[in-house]
Amino acid sequence: MSGISILIVGLFLPLFPLSMIFNELFSRFTSAKLRIALLIVWPQVGIILAYLFEVNIPDWVITWALFTALLYAFRGLTLREIGLWTSFIATSSWAILWVVLDSDTTFSQLMFYTLGLSLPLCLLVLLCGELEKQFGAAYTGLYNGLAESLPRFSGVLVFVILAVVATPLFPGFTVMLTAIFSTSASSIITGVTISIVWLFWTWAGARLLQDLIVGTPKENGKVDLSLNTTWAYTAALGLLIVGGIYSIGGLS
Amino acid sequence: MEMLILLLPLLPLFSAALNHVSYKQAGHKAAKTSVAFGVINFILAVALLAMVMGGDKTSQVALFDSWGILIADPLSVLMALLISGISLIVRIYSIKYMIEEAGYGRFFMLLDLMTATLLLMVTAGDLISLLVAWHLVGVLLYFLLGFDSRSHTAYRYAFWTLITYRVGDIALVLAAGLLFHAYGTWSLSEIFAAVTENPGAHQYFGFVLEELVGFLLAIAAFARSAQFFLHTWLPYTMDGPTPVSALMHAGIVNAGGFLINRFSPIFIQTESTLHLLFIVGLVTAIIGSVLMLTQNDIKKALGYSTMGQMGFMIMECGLGAFSLAIYHLIAHGLFKGTLFLGAGTVINKARKHDGVPQDDLYTFVVERQSAQQRQPWLMMVGITLAVPIIILFLAHWLVAQNFFQNQGAIVLLFFGWITGAQLLFTTYRMHTQNIWRLIGIIILSFTVIVLGYAFISHAFDLFLYPDAAFREQIYAAAGIDIFWFNVLVLLTTAIIVASWVLIYYSEQNHMSEQKKITQWWIRFYALISREFYIIDFYSWLTRTIFKAATRLNVLLRWR
Repeated sequence: MSGISILIVGLFLPLFPLSMIFNELFSRFTSAKLRIALLIVWPQVGIILAYLFEVNIPDWVITWALFTALLYAFRGLTLREIGLWTSFIATSSWAILWVVLDSDTTFSQLMFYTLGLSLPLCLLVLLCGELEKQFGAAYTGLYNGLAESLPRFSGVLVFVILAVVATPLFPGFTVMLTAIFSTSASSIITGVTISIVWLFWTWAGARLLQDLIVGTPKENGKVDLSLNTTWAYTAALGLLIVGGIYSIGGLS
Repeated sequence: MEMLILLLPLLPLFSAALNHVSYKQAGHKAAKTSVAFGVINFILAVALLAMVMGGDKTSQVALFDSWGILIADPLSVLMALLISGISLIVRIYSIKYMIEEAGYGRFFMLLDLMTATLLLMVTAGDLISLLVAWHLVGVLLYFLLGFDSRSHTAYRYAFWTLITYRVGDIALVLAAGLLFHAYGTWSLSEIFAAVTENPGAHQYFGFVLEELVGFLLAIAAFARSAQFFLHTWLPYTMDGPTPVSALMHAGIVNAGGFLINRFSPIFIQTESTLHLLFIVGLVTAIIGSVLMLTQNDIKKALGYSTMGQMGFMIMECGLGAFSLAIYHLIAHGLFKGTLFLGAGTVINKARKHDGVPQDDLYTFVVERQSAQQRQPWLMMVGITLAVPIIILFLAHWLVAQNFFQNQGAIVLLFFGWITGAQLLFTTYRMHTQNIWRLIGIIILSFTVIVLGYAFISHAFDLFLYPDAAFREQIYAAAGIDIFWFNVLVLLTTAIIVASWVLIYYSEQNHMSEQKKITQWWIRFYALISREFYIIDFYSWLTRTIFKAATRLNVLLRWR
């Protein structure tokens, strides 16, 4: 893979500082639909291009990708704006795909893994829109105690965040295991770095949840998700779990 | 048998699903469903244990092609019985205890999920299932500890638990990655067979695979069992509901001991990992016990007590007494669960009536009033030092004549010796009408306990590790050079004997009462009361990380 092709793929499977372009675009798109489209299409383009350019990834690119993943996971720890949090975690998780790209994973598996990483983020974008509708902004620390004032919303949010931070049975878990298993035997540092990225995701996710759902609600009279919408989210999460279980079977 | 193993984690999962669908409508129903399924689960676990004890061979069932393997072997069925039993008790206790809490049904759903996950963890026959269960236990515990969604404190400490557990998860994932790379299979039985057949066949980063994997597994066990430096979450998670504390202290925290036993075929091939377990366990046992003694909050004291016990359990593994660690974790689980579930009643009673018994035991233990009339101190030194060691040796000799050939056994006898000696020393200073009657009763109790302990632990040894050669291998892996071992034994014996003689002598001459509190002693107390500044260090580290992340975000303009 030539330097130019790496740079092109590095735009879509973000490598810092090219990653700033995706984050800039994501923040400019205020519509949920556009954000979802971006989250689904952007990394898939990266995967397709990587295959078109016949991937043979040098070690320094893996190091670069890991640095990007670590950088954005670390920066995600203190973010309070949920939209920005989503794009940072997206950047961090897609950068990990470089490692998976370098393993024995097939093209279709990789497309599936990428989708598995993007879909929970899409659900988070929808929830973010719901918060903006209710409170005017999707920002942690401004309001809390959602578990009490919006129980259905909080329940869905918890599961979506768990899916985003690659909790077992969600597809992200398989991606992380694939990345760690394919590298830990050749470079323990790579394995440890990916693990630290994963740890930061959990940390960032827990902070986000705590700042939103815990506490006594400041405002009452907010409208919770309808039963039908809740079931729709549940179905989506259920599908993600089925996909996760299916993908674990493909681990090798 | 295969069907029973399969049902073991599936039943509580089904109960959780049922509760999720119905809890909004009827909270009580959730509790009843949960308990009913708990009873069936417990009966299943008893049946499985009976089958294995009855001589049924280890069997396994696979849910998927390469993972989802569940096994029924002595270790898994024993642990399944413990988990099912404690979980059932906790659920029954919670029926009334949690009745006024919001999210009553959700609580039972979470308990069911936790039970299912723990049962999956102990019956997992492949690395993937083990990783899934190991990781999920931390996540579920986070939500159980933070059950009160109004309490920021509960969530804060629940987060400490989650993040510490994740550190352990990472180590386990890395260990699994190395094992899979070396042997090309997820199946634990296949990996263990390959390791046993050809030990030391693989090397990674200049280390033998077994040594590296053993070290990573040890880290995973340390995080789960609150070993020193990874312990801060345990005593602080008391804002969670009491039934959760009981489940955590009686069941979940023991997972470190389980993990070490599960991977015993790996650990017996290591050279230094068991020594690491011994040192970390010993340090944790001492620090946990010291911190427990300085607490004035009953639940926090229980938390540090668990830490000390977990240290002892890991130390037992480090000495090669793997099955003893399992016996220890079961015994500890039962008594600590009882203490937690009873703590609320004790506190309530104490609020109404101080319950101070005006008897000799209270004035001696709490008010520290000792008797003026004492027996000849030299005679008491003799009894204190000789009687426990004679009882310990005779009891273990009765169980297994070759017991003393194991270095680990000798070290464990030291602990028994010190405990027995401390008991007699305490008695010697107590007010009583007939000191010899009291000493006689104590010696009798000590004998019964030691005999019981020796026989039961030997039975555990035979049940969990029926292969005598394997048992010997475990002790051998924990051993050190015989010359240095003898030197250490002699040195330790000399120190113990000299210390007891000195203590008796100083007590006899009232020297301890004349001692002034020195500046050093105050400093030491300050160090303990600040819990060795470890929590302060972690808080500082967290603040530094957040500051750095914020600065980076500003520097990079949030893109």
